[in-house]
This record gives sequence, C-alpha cells and structure tokens, in this order.
Amino acid sequence: MSTFVDEKPTQNLEAFKGVKKVPHEEYYTSGHRTCQGCESAQIMKLMAKAAGPRTIVLGSTGCMYVANTSYYATPWGLPWMHTQLGSSGSSALGAAAAFRVQMRKGVMKDEPINVIAFCGDGGGADMGLGAISATMCHPDYNLLILMYDNESYANTDIQISGTSPYGVNTSFSTPGKIKRIMNHRWKKNVAPLMLVGHPTVKYVGTISTSYPLQAMNNVRKALSIGGPTFIHCLNPCPKGWDFDPVLSFELGELAVNTGIWPLYEVENGKLKLYGKTEQIASGRFKRLPVRDYLLKQGRFAHFIDDDIDYFQSKIDEMWNKWLVPGIIPLQREIEAE
Amino acid sequence: MGQLFAVEVIYRGVFQKTLAKNITRGIVLAAHNEGKLGISFGRYGDSPERNGIPAKSFAIVAHDEQTLEAGMAQYEPKQVDLTVVLDDTLCKGAESWAWYGLQPAHHALKPGHTLLVVSLEDAPSLLKNIHRREEPYKLGILKGVTSFSGMWVYKDDHTDVRVLGAIAKAVPELFSLAAVEKFILEKLKNSLKVTSAHTAFERFATVEVKAGEGNPEKLFAFGKPRWEDMRGGVSIKGQPQGGPYADPVSGKVGGFRPARNELFKKYSTRTMRPVVNFSTCTKCTLCWLNCPDASFDVTPDGTYDANLQACCGCGICEEVCPVKNCISMVNESEFHDNDSQWAKFREDKNSYLKWLETTIAKAEPIEKRSHGFRYRGQYQEQAPEALEIAKKG
Repeated sequence: MSTFVDEKPTQNLEAFKGVKKVPHEEYYTSGHRTCQGCESAQIMKLMAKAAGPRTIVLGSTGCMYVANTSYYATPWGLPWMHTQLGSSGSSALGAAAAFRVQMRKGVMKDEPINVIAFCGDGGGADMGLGAISATMCHPDYNLLILMYDNESYANTDIQISGTSPYGVNTSFSTPGKIKRIMNHRWKKNVAPLMLVGHPTVKYVGTISTSYPLQAMNNVRKALSIGGPTFIHCLNPCPKGWDFDPVLSFELGELAVNTGIWPLYEVENGKLKLYGKTEQIASGRFKRLPVRDYLLKQGRFAHFIDDDIDYFQSKIDEMWNKWLVPGIIPLQREIEAE
Repeated sequence: MGQLFAVEVIYRGVFQKTLAKNITRGIVLAAHNEGKLGISFGRYGDSPERNGIPAKSFAIVAHDEQTLEAGMAQYEPKQVDLTVVLDDTLCKGAESWAWYGLQPAHHALKPGHTLLVVSLEDAPSLLKNIHRREEPYKLGILKGVTSFSGMWVYKDDHTDVRVLGAIAKAVPELFSLAAVEKFILEKLKNSLKVTSAHTAFERFATVEVKAGEGNPEKLFAFGKPRWEDMRGGVSIKGQPQGGPYADPVSGKVGGFRPARNELFKKYSTRTMRPVVNFSTCTKCTLCWLNCPDASFDVTPDGTYDANLQACCGCGICEEVCPVKNCISMVNESEFHDNDSQWAKFREDKNSYLKWLETTIAKAEPIEKRSHGFRYRGQYQEQAPEALEIAKKG
C-alpha cells in the first residue's frame, strides 16, 4: 500500500543519556543582547546544541531575532537566517523544499540536514499560525518549528499576545482603577491545536527550559522522527513578567508544578505525559497552588485574591474536567452537564 | 545661539527605566519653571531595553528655541554638563548595544563638571572603578541604595527628587532649588518629596578628581569594519566553534571554551558576578547547562569557570547549584578585574580560598536581594529603608 508521501531520511539523533553526556560544543554561544536570565536565549542554546552542526535555523522576528543579530554581532554558530514575523512555517517548508531540489540536482551533497524555524508566541501563536498550519500538512518535508513562548511581544516592550495569560499586566493591558483586569482572554492552547488539527504530524510536544536535558532530547526526537514537527516551549521572561532574573529557572519549574504548563509529547499519535506533569496526572504529586507562581511576578502584582481564585479554578477545571486532562479542553456530554 | 545645557543619566535598563525617565522629565520641568525650554529623551540605540543593560536618558535645556532645536538635531549630546550614574556598578563604564565598545562613565562629561553617583560607597572606592581621565572633573556622591524596580512596578524611594536637588547644587545655572520645589509641588504633589530634595541639596558635596586619577584599565574596544570588509548581501560571519584550552599551571590541555563574541562583551551588564568554589564543585554540570549566556568555560579539570566576558550576572547558576556556597553572587563593585577565577585558583589554591571566604561574606543572600519583584508588596517594603538613608542624606 503506497501513501505517495516522498519521505527523506533524517539524521536519527539519539537521546543524550544524562547531563554528563551532553556535548560541550556550543552552536549558540555568548554575546547576545538578551536580558539577564533570558530563558528564550536558553532554549536557543539548547535547541542548537541538540540539533548539532548539520542544521540551518530560520528565525522569525522577535526577541531572538533582534537580540541576536544587531550591529554585526551574533551568537550563532549555525547558519541562521531571518524571516518575517508570520512566516516561520512557510520559510521552514521553503528551505526544506529547496534543500531537496538542490540535492536532487547535485548542487549540494545529498545528506539529511536539520531545518529548524523558530518563532515567538507573537510570530507563532498569532501571526504565523496559518503558515505553520499549512506547513504541518506537508508530510514530505522534514522540519521542526519551535515556538518559544514568553507570553507577550517582549521585544517591543511587552504587548499582549495570544498566549498572554489571563489578567496579566502588559503595555496593552495596564490595570486601571475601575477595571482591574484588562486581559480577559485565556492563553491559547497551541500545541494541542497543532496535534488535533493536523493528524499526520508525527511529533508535537511541549518543553520547558527548566528541564534542559528533556528539552534537548525532545528536540532531537522531533528532528529524527521525520515530517513537519512542532514544539512549544514556555520561557519565563524576567523583563516582561517582572521578576528577579535569578528566578527564571524556578518559575519554569513552578509553571509545571502548579499544573499551568503541562509537559507532554505526542509521538505518532501516542500521548505521553512526562516529568512532574505525569506525576500530577497519576496523582503522585499534588499540584501546587497557582498563587505560588503568580505572586512571584510583577505582572500579576495587581491581582487580588478573587483573581487568584479565578485563575486557580480555571487550572482545576483543566485538570479535573477536560477530556484529556491538561491538554484537550473538551468535556464529555454527561460530565459537562 | 545661546547656551545649551545637557544632562545624561546612565542607568540599568528596565530596572531603572522609569526612574531615569522621571529624573530627565523633572530636569526639563524644573528648568521650565525658570523660563527655559527643554526636552528629555532616551537613547534610541538602547531600545528595546533589556534587563540590566547600561542605558542612557538625556535632558537638554536652553534659553531659546533655536538653541534647543540645534541640540535636538543631534543623535545624542556629545558633551554634557552633568552625568548622573544611578547604579554605582556602572562606574565601571557602559557598553551599549555594540559599536561603542566600553565607554567610561564620564565619557561625555565636560572637563571640570560633575559626575553624580548614587552610592553608599565613598569616593576612593568608586575611583577604583571609574576610569582615568586626562582632564580633571568633580565627583559627587548622593548617598543612597541603588533603586531597582521592575517593568510594571515603581519603587518610589525619592531617588528621583533627591537627584534633582543635587543637580540644583551642582549646576545652579540649570535651575535653582526653588524651581525643583515648584515642580514637585505642582506635578508630583508630594510635600515629603520637597523635604528629600532639600536634604539632598544641602548634603550634596563634590570632591575634585585630578587628571589621571582612577582605574587604569584599558577600555574594551574593537575596530569597526569598513565598507570593503563587509560581505555580500546582508550576511555576517557566524561564531566559530570553541575548543579545549590549557591549564595555566600544569599546561594540561582539556575542557572546553566556547568562542566568545568579539564585538560585544558583558562587562558592564552585570551588577553581580558568580564566585565559584572550585574545591567543592561536584562537576554536576547544572550551572553550565542552565546558563542562558553560555558563559561557563569547562576547565581542563572538569569544573566550571564563569567567563566574565560573557556573564551578565543573572544568578541562575547560583540558584541551580546543588552545593551550598559553591556559587555565590557578589556585588560587582567588589571586583576590579575580569580575570579567570579558575586560573587564580590553580595558581594558588589556598590564597584563592581565603579570598573566596572574605568575598562571599559580602554576598547578599538570595532571599534578600532583589533586582525586580520577588513577591507582592516587596517594593513597598523596600522603600522605607531607602527613605531612611534619604532623610539622613
């Protein structure tokens, strides 16, 4: 039975077996102009390390474009190209297609090359969603789209994006005296959007920079499995979230431990929760109250107890009522009543 | 054309953004009370601002419109009548978003004019960090805790009006204390702040800094590429791969040092730096793995050495390190070089460990210090302490 899908081999990157086995080589090194404690830069470093030298990276506009290329200096040790804000999907597809043609024509050596396009939450969850969706429907091309999510348009000084959490203070949702909550939208659930909407995609997952080994291994898995793949990474942003840079790591952990940021991967249609998320789902770890996470951040400094309770109730709902807890926001008819 | 007054405020990006804006705004409005015209603006090249980067804000004031317009036509004032440094670790200089290299704090200051630093330290210890200068100038210290806040919350500890009070004394031609008082009462509507401005005016004193006095360190600089050095299209050279390096004592080659960006260093981005105890390091890799700036060199003996060209002082390494006091973040003003700590450790282990002990004794514990917001209401809690110092002057 033929599927007519023209698959090409990938690099088959095996998982790093422990932190001590992680190679020393850096393909995204120092000298970028990010904030102190920037976790978005951290995921770039991990992503480049995981992908290795035979990789090209395409970056759509955002912090990780502006802070990494301005004034003739760059931390990149991999070929990197800027692409427009909404075009991480189309540029990844175009690059993968171009490689295929060049290799077929003998212009370049026929070898598997990793194609990674990254986008911020603005470039991915808002503007680039259509292009990413289109790319996810092309099973013939091997590529990874990695969305680093700092929950706002952080580069241009923190404007609200589709993944900004409920009630957050941003340049576009400054709390007022009469109306305290200026962002009443709930965070867009992007990874499930990709996995449910594009049934042939072989790998969709979420990662966190506070679990660096796991994050790198998931990137390696996504690059090895073939076809278009998607990873959503949550990156605490000390500037926009307004916390001491030293807390970057801890907030990433708290997001997972409070159940706000579930860690999972879907490999060939099989869902696997991992880390603390798996322990939460199986009842071996009790979710921490969201208060612990919210009150460490200046962007929630205007929250009163009511707001925290509402936030908590939404997270409880996500774990107690959703068809696939933490992931798919459907409820069975009988339970919803 | 009349006289153009210019004041520059050097501050820590994001943490002091609102503070710097309030000060330059205050300068213009206070001068306006004496019939002068002015405008305040931030340096374009610093935007979008990042946490901790040295950034600049300016106020220019003139008696007539034409002079002001001439000043506004410049990208930034080339010479200033007063430089305000809002965080004393910036006395080590300010490296903006490249092309400038590292500039000393008094880079634009007219000879003989005042460099105003908000600090709890005294002039001799600040001059260990402020670079040498061929022309003499004055150094004035406004006693105060460095006022840090975050993107969304402002810590109102009166630093803004205290700086204005001190400026009235340092540059009396710009505006008088009465003009500052009028500005505070009319715009800020806070009589307590008037008292703070008065105290600052009364207590503010300067010391003469002689030519050649100060830090002899050579400033980090680089050659700018000429047009014929630039490559086709808009492509630029990437970073090469790093490699092993030699132990300064045994000569053993090993470990790994990543390539370091030649055009941009983080010397002036730090307010703290990690101090590593190499003898208790368990080689767990966590500091190295979790550093967003890839700033750790893997030493030939397998420990991790924070490379101070690349470290921006976020403190994540201290947070993730599982060994107590193995990595401690210490205020940048305690250090006067950017040399490798591991090399010093290798050269003389015992004296390094002794130095380490006295140095980390000065470290503020993680629970106490704050660059930004740590929990709800913390800024309000911090303000009284700063206000106490403001009152004493």
